[in-house]
Amino acid sequence: MSNLIKNNQTKGQLTRRSLLQSAMWMSGAVATGLGSWVFPAKWSHAAGPIKVGIATDLTGAISFGGIPCSRIAKLAIDQINADGGLLGRPLEMYLEDTASNEQIAVGVVRKLVQRERVDVVLGGITSSMRNAIKGIIVGRGRTLYIYPQLYEGRECTPYLFNTGPTPAQQCDKLIPWLIANGGKRFALPSANYVWPHVLNEYARKSIEENGGEVVMEEYYPLDQVEYGATVKRIMDEKIDVVFNTVIPPGLGPFIKQLYEAGFLKRGGRLSCVYYDENALNFNTPQEMEGLASCLDYFQNIEDPFSSELQAAYQKRHAHKDKVLFSAGSGSTGMYRGVKLWEAAVKEAGAVDRDSVAAAMDHAKIANGPGGPSEMLPGTYHCQMNMYIAVAKGGKYEIVSKADQVDPKECG
Amino acid sequence: MEGVFQVFFSVLSYTSIMVLVVLGLGVIASMMGIFNFAHGEFLLLGGYTFYLFHIWGLPPWLGIVAAPIVVAIIGVVLERTIIHRFYAAPIVAMLGTYAIGMIIRETVRGLIDGMYWTVPAPIVGMFVAGDISVSKWRVAVIVITILVVTGSYLLVNRTNFGLRVRASLENPELARASGISTSQIYASTFAFGAALAGLAGAMMVPLFTLYADMGLRFLIQGFLSVMLGGIGTFEGPVFGGALIGAMASGLPFAVNPILADVLVFVIAIILVKMKPLGLLAKGR
Repeated sequence: MSNLIKNNQTKGQLTRRSLLQSAMWMSGAVATGLGSWVFPAKWSHAAGPIKVGIATDLTGAISFGGIPCSRIAKLAIDQINADGGLLGRPLEMYLEDTASNEQIAVGVVRKLVQRERVDVVLGGITSSMRNAIKGIIVGRGRTLYIYPQLYEGRECTPYLFNTGPTPAQQCDKLIPWLIANGGKRFALPSANYVWPHVLNEYARKSIEENGGEVVMEEYYPLDQVEYGATVKRIMDEKIDVVFNTVIPPGLGPFIKQLYEAGFLKRGGRLSCVYYDENALNFNTPQEMEGLASCLDYFQNIEDPFSSELQAAYQKRHAHKDKVLFSAGSGSTGMYRGVKLWEAAVKEAGAVDRDSVAAAMDHAKIANGPGGPSEMLPGTYHCQMNMYIAVAKGGKYEIVSKADQVDPKECG
Repeated sequence: MEGVFQVFFSVLSYTSIMVLVVLGLGVIASMMGIFNFAHGEFLLLGGYTFYLFHIWGLPPWLGIVAAPIVVAIIGVVLERTIIHRFYAAPIVAMLGTYAIGMIIRETVRGLIDGMYWTVPAPIVGMFVAGDISVSKWRVAVIVITILVVTGSYLLVNRTNFGLRVRASLENPELARASGISTSQIYASTFAFGAALAGLAGAMMVPLFTLYADMGLRFLIQGFLSVMLGGIGTFEGPVFGGALIGAMASGLPFAVNPILADVLVFVIAIILVKMKPLGLLAKGR
């Protein structure tokens, strides 16, 4: 009887037990992964398919980068399959959502390497994501890992190959250009995490070597959106060039506030090394007029292969959404990564990690987004063409091209 | 002199936004006794409505007017279907509204492709005088905030509706016995708070771009503002919002921005510790 009363009293109320039960159910659902997809092989082979694991941020704050990354990976794999696969075997793609969250990523990546036993993993966008998953892949997982995003450099882990631009590739040509086309007084406003800190170290050295001067270097919380104090300092210090590593969401408001304070009217030059076509949405064209960026690919470069690739991507995805295939968030490095790995597997004639890594060490491709690319032996990084582009009226204009720029890493 | 004006204007414009954000949160917290942790996402919905009007090619002012109406309607639907079940348990209300917020946030993230979108303000351009250059839209935000705060104050304190809202909060049984439909009052108060969030969101988007996580930072600072100002009055949260807004935008002029971000919370927590009921709390 007393139980009956108790039950009636607690009915519909949240008890500790029911809370724990639902928490367990939820964490179970999260741990097993809601965001996994397998794109099965198109034909069978005695040795089975070659398994390619793609782990990227399909949801959460970095999804604008992860979604095109996953799509270009699928495109590259489909192209390889259409050409007869690798070593006669079809490629099978295992896609996992790392959800812009390192804890979730650790679980899903472990699933890729331990349960699915993929032959290679490509993915991760932020450096914190790479650091969270690399140990699982190349350490206990004994699998090859390819990291596609532009980043701060210094990643020299064996079996980890980097296919995005490094600080040297992004700064060596851009900084002298900025000094010639902007001025000598630099401000380095930055988001407070690893990439801006390390990139700024390199940029500062390069600025000083080229006769410029870093007048201010400041770091902000990642979600700061109000930049009144920073803008005032930039105006008061008569800064010529703002070399920006503030990231969204702060980026749009920061550039807007600079514009409103009259920085561009005064002849100031903006620069941001991850600005690509997707970033054109962040601000109105007049707010970012003259902004200089340096990346491995822009849509209007003159390279027939890149144009074909862009057309193939748009044919598949243009109708679905507005996220573009561009260089700022890992997509070009992803395509380059898949193709360099393909070249390595072909040369090795096998998919085991050591044979592929040995071939990957000097792999090269004649065509990729932005042009050819080649791994520099012993460095885990690749050289690639780099382009300086300037925003004019809401579009980029290519002002300079440098062939096969040295990544200057792990040397 | 110009420098002083620029600091003052910068602090005032951010403070206005903060007050507008806190107003809706404060109205719901003070008048209904629950914290709406989906408030940040109501801002987002307001911003998203404004963005939709922009991409549909409709006049931006219409977007500013439509945002509070749309969010109020969504607010009423949520209140009548889900949130009214939480009134007896404020802690569960926090968790429940947070969950609703997450659903809204991730849905909108899908709708905007996880991207960051700039949307032009209804008034573009700057007022320029010598070395001073201020955004016209920021001036408009300050003016609109003053009007909205004054209007809300009058609504709550000087109208019959406001009286019934306060009666329902102070003593729901007696209010019901006196012929006031408390459930209707709760629904309209919630809708009013949601509408304020919708308006704040629409006005913020031209300044801060539209993105799925735009509500998060403001929710945390808004929550702190309400705690700081005190629940139970109209003035408390508004004052708290003004104080947090002024500190968040003013401190970076004086100290390192990373330190300033932490300092806002440290100062606020010390103040809450000293005055646990809030700086302007009235005994309830």
